[in-house]
Amino acid sequence: MNMDKPVRRVAIFALLLFFGLMAQINYVQGSQAEDLRTDANNSRQYQDLFNSPRGQISAGGEVLVTSKETGKDNPKYGRSYKDGPVFAPITGYFNGNATQVERAYNSLLGGKDKRITQQRWFDTFIGKKAEGANVELTIDPQAQRTAYEKLKARTAQGRRGGAVVIDVKTGAVKVAASWPSFDPNEVAPQTGEKGGKRLEQLDQGDGVIKPLVDNAFSQTFPPGSSFKTVVSAIGMQKLGLSISSTVNTGQLILPESGRPLPNSHDSGSCAGSAPLKGAFAESCNTSFAKMALDMGIDQLHEGAAKFGFGERVELEPDMYAAQSAVPVSIKDAKGNTVQTGKDGTARSGIGQENVRATPLQMAMAACAVANEGKIMNPYVVQKVRAKDQSELYNASAKEFGQAMTGDQAGQLEDMMRAVVSEGTAKNLQGMRIAGKTGTAEQGAGNPNANWFVGFSPVEDPRYAFAVMTEVGGGSGAGDAGPIAGAIMSKVLKK
Amino acid sequence: MHSIGEQIKARLPYQRRNAASLALLIFAMILTLSAFAEVGLARDGNIPAGLFVYGGGLAVMAFVAYFVQMKFTPYADPLLLPLAVALNGVGLAMIYRLDLDTSADRKAAAAAGKKLLADAADAPSQLMWTFVGIGLFVGAVLIMRDTDKPDAPVSFTPKTAQRYTYLIGLTAVILLLLPIVPGIGQQINGARVWISVGPFSVQPGEFAKLLLVVFFAGYLVNKRQAMSLIGKKVGPISLPRARDLGPIMVIWFFCLGVLFMQKDLGTALLFFGLFISMLYIATQRLSWVVIGMGLLAVGVFVATLLPFMGHVNQRIDIWQNPKPYFDGGCLLDSGKVVPVNPNTEIYKKYLAQKSPSPGFSACAELGGEYSDSAQLMKGLFALGQGGVLGTGLGQGEPWRTPLSFSDFIFDSLGEELGLTGLMVLLLIYALIVQRGMKTAVAARDPFLKLFAGGVSFVLALQVFVIVGGVTRLIPLTGLTTPFLSQGGSSLMANWILIAILVRMSHDARKPAPQAIQDEGMTQIVSTR
Repeated sequence: MNMDKPVRRVAIFALLLFFGLMAQINYVQGSQAEDLRTDANNSRQYQDLFNSPRGQISAGGEVLVTSKETGKDNPKYGRSYKDGPVFAPITGYFNGNATQVERAYNSLLGGKDKRITQQRWFDTFIGKKAEGANVELTIDPQAQRTAYEKLKARTAQGRRGGAVVIDVKTGAVKVAASWPSFDPNEVAPQTGEKGGKRLEQLDQGDGVIKPLVDNAFSQTFPPGSSFKTVVSAIGMQKLGLSISSTVNTGQLILPESGRPLPNSHDSGSCAGSAPLKGAFAESCNTSFAKMALDMGIDQLHEGAAKFGFGERVELEPDMYAAQSAVPVSIKDAKGNTVQTGKDGTARSGIGQENVRATPLQMAMAACAVANEGKIMNPYVVQKVRAKDQSELYNASAKEFGQAMTGDQAGQLEDMMRAVVSEGTAKNLQGMRIAGKTGTAEQGAGNPNANWFVGFSPVEDPRYAFAVMTEVGGGSGAGDAGPIAGAIMSKVLKK
Repeated sequence: MHSIGEQIKARLPYQRRNAASLALLIFAMILTLSAFAEVGLARDGNIPAGLFVYGGGLAVMAFVAYFVQMKFTPYADPLLLPLAVALNGVGLAMIYRLDLDTSADRKAAAAAGKKLLADAADAPSQLMWTFVGIGLFVGAVLIMRDTDKPDAPVSFTPKTAQRYTYLIGLTAVILLLLPIVPGIGQQINGARVWISVGPFSVQPGEFAKLLLVVFFAGYLVNKRQAMSLIGKKVGPISLPRARDLGPIMVIWFFCLGVLFMQKDLGTALLFFGLFISMLYIATQRLSWVVIGMGLLAVGVFVATLLPFMGHVNQRIDIWQNPKPYFDGGCLLDSGKVVPVNPNTEIYKKYLAQKSPSPGFSACAELGGEYSDSAQLMKGLFALGQGGVLGTGLGQGEPWRTPLSFSDFIFDSLGEELGLTGLMVLLLIYALIVQRGMKTAVAARDPFLKLFAGGVSFVLALQVFVIVGGVTRLIPLTGLTTPFLSQGGSSLMANWILIAILVRMSHDARKPAPQAIQDEGMTQIVSTR
C-alpha cells in the first residue's frame, strides 16, 4: 500500500495551516492595526507620547514651552514651561492628557497630524517618526506678564481675577491672564507620580479657587454694570433708543417685591432723568433695570445671544470657553426650573441676578463696540510651523457675528469714552482707555467682582479688553480700571 | 503501484546540491548578521560587540554543520540546514535585542551601581543552547548511517529506532511523567512541564514529541495493513479491531491525561493532531480523521464541564472576547464577564487586605472564574504597533508583552519586522515542512516515510498552535515557537529533528545502489 498519496494530502493540509496563519496575520497587522494601536487598554499610545519631543509653543518670538530630554527611559521627554503660571490659561498642561492649546493642537505638537505625516510620507514609510510642529500664539508675552502681575497684586487673598485683550479687527487674543493660576511644570511628564498627585490637588482646589479652571476663558462671574454695555446695545435695537434719548434715572420700585432698586448715587445724571449717555457714564442702575423691564427677559436673552451669551465660544478646535448666560430660567439646587421674574429681569438688566459672563465674553462685547458692531471670533493660535519651518496652519480672521449696527456701535463708543471723561471712571483719564465700569455683588460674605470693560486707544480703538478682579469693597473704576490701563500700555507699546 | 517505467519518469535522479546549500547558508548568515547590526545601530548607535560574539559564533557553528552535511550526507536536501539556521539566527537576534543586559545603556547603568529590573530574556544562554543544538545536529548526522549499510561498525540509522518501538514509546511516557514527579518537576507560568537537571530547566515534552513520532511510526507500520483492511463497518465508518487500536489508544489517553494534569493544553493539542495525521498517513482512512475530530470535540466539551478544568473554558472565552478580561476578568456562571482589574473597587479591597492575587480573590467572592487576557492583548498590540513594515529591529517596544522572548516571540518579531517579516518567517517554516514532506515522499522505507511525514507535520502543527494562539486565530495555549523561542530543550529537539530529516533526505535522494552486474533496470529493487 502506497503512502505517498496521504503524505501529499497531509502536506497540503500543513500548507493550509500556514495559509490560515498568514491570512490571520494579514488581518491583524493590516486591517486591525489602527484599532489595536488606539485600543483603550493599549498603554503604548500613552507611553509613546513621551518618546519623542513635542513641538514648541511660542508667543511674540519668545519660546514658552519646550520638550527636553529627561535622560531617563520613561518618560524620555519632559515638558518645560517658561513662566508656567503666567501662560497656563492659554498653554494648558501636558502629562499625556492635556488641556487648552496643548490639547487642541495635540496632534500637531505630537507630530501625529495628517498634515505632518502626509508631508513627510517618506519618513513615515521608512519608519522615521515625524517631529512635532511648533505652535505660535497670538499672545503678547510682555502684556500677559503685566496682566498676571497686576491681577496678583490687586486681587483679594483667596479670590480670583481675570483679564482678556483681543484685537478687534481679527479676534486674535493678546492677553488671557488668570489669578490664581498653576504651574504646568509641576504636572509635566517628568514629575511622574508626584505630578499626578499635584494634579489631583489642583483639580480639587480650595474654596472658589480652582487653579485648573482659568478665570479668563473658563470661569463666569456676574458682570454687574459692565453688562449695561450689552443692555444699551439691545435697547438701541429693541426700544429704538439712541445716545441722546432721555431715560428715567430716578427711583425704580421693583414690581414684585415692591422694594426700590438703588442707584449708587442720586445726584448728577441719576437725579431723575438724563440722556442715555449720561445714565451710562454715571451708571444709573434704575435706567437699565427699567430698560430690561420694558424689553422683558426673553428679548434681553435673545439680544445677548448675538454677543455670544448662551453658547460656548470656540477659541480653537476642541478648545472652548465657558458659557456665559442671560438665563430666562434656571435650575435650582433641587432641580426645579425657576423662571426669571420681573424683579429678576430688572436685576438682569444691571448684570446681576443670574447673568454671568467670562472676561472673554465681556471683551467680545467691547469688540463689537470698537469694531462697528462686528465681533471677530477670538483665537489664540496664529501659526503652526513644521520643524522645517514650512507653514502648516495660519489663522485667518473669522467673523463671530454682527451684534449691532455700525452706527449704534459708534454711539456706544462715545458713551464708553464718556465714562472716563465725565462718568464713574474719571480716575483713568490719560491711560488711553475707554470702557464701562462694573461692580457686581456676589452675595453676602463674598467680595465684589470689579470689572472694567472697554477698548483702547480711545480715539481709534484697536483692542478690546475686559478685566475682572474680586476685591472686597472694591469698585470697577478703582480696582479693575488701573489694571486695564497698565495692560493696555504694554499692548500699545508694540 | 506504479510501473518501474513510471517511477523513473516521475523521479529524475537527484543531484548533490551542496553549492546551493552553501549559497543559501551564506544568505542566512547575512540575514542574521544584519539583524544583529540593526539591533545595535538602533539601540546604541553602533555595531554591537554581540555581532562578533553571537553572529560570529553562529556562523562558525553553521559552517561546521554545513561541512559535516556536505561530507557525510552529500545528497541531503539543500534547504533544510540554511532554513533552520536562518530561523535560529533571527530568533537569537531577537532575544539579544530583548535581553536588555546587552544594551550599552544598561551596561553603563549597571556599572554605575543602579538598581535594575531583572529581565528574563537571556541571550548568552540562548547562544549556548544554539551551540548545543547545532552540535547535536552534527553529532546526529555523524552517528546515523545510511539505511542500506546496516553492517557499518556503529550501525545506527533512522530505521534502527523501529526495532525499539515499544521501548521508545515507554520512554516518551516516562519523559512526559517526569515533570509531575515531586522534587524534580517544576511549575513555571502555570504549566508543570519542566524538570530541573542540575542548574538547567528541561522541557522533556519537547523530546517526547520526537519519540512519540518514532513510536507511532513503528507501531503503525506493523499494524496499518490490519487497521485499514480488517474491521467492522458501522454505517459509512469502518471501525478497526480493538486489538489493533487498543495499544495506541492506551498510550494516547495516557499522554492526554498527563498533559491535562500538567495543564499543558498546547502539547496535548500537538500530540493529538500528530496522532490523527499519522494514523491517516498509515491507513489512508479519512474516517480516522472524522473519529479523531469527534474525540477532540468530546474532549474539549468534557473539559469545559469539569470543575478543575476551568481554565479550558476561560481560554476559549478569552479567545472569543478578550477585551473584558484585560488585566483580570471574572467569568460568572451566567456567562457574564465582570472586570476585576486593578481599577475596580473589589480589586482594591483585596489589595488592601494584602491578598497575594487580589483579582483572583475578588473573582472568588463573585463566584466566577478568574482569568487575564492582558498577555494576549499586549501581544496583539505589539502586532498592531508593527503594522505592515514593522518598527525595525531595536526600535519597537516588544518588551511590553510578558514572555516576549518565549511564547510571544512571534508577536515581538511582528512588532519589529512587521507583517512583511512575519510572512517571511512563515514561508521559512512552510518550506521546512514541505521539504520534510518531500523527504517522506522520496523515502523508500514505509517506516521512514511515516517518520518523516510525522516529524514534518508535528513541526507545522506546533507553529500553527503557538502562532495561531498569539495572533488570536485559535485559543492561546503555551508552546515553544520552533527555533525562535528562548529555551534549550526546544532548540535541541528541533535541531535533532532537522538532523533526522537531513539524514533521511540524503538516504532518499542518493542514487540507487548500482547493481554489481549491469543487467539493466530490472535489477533495481524497490522496497515500496
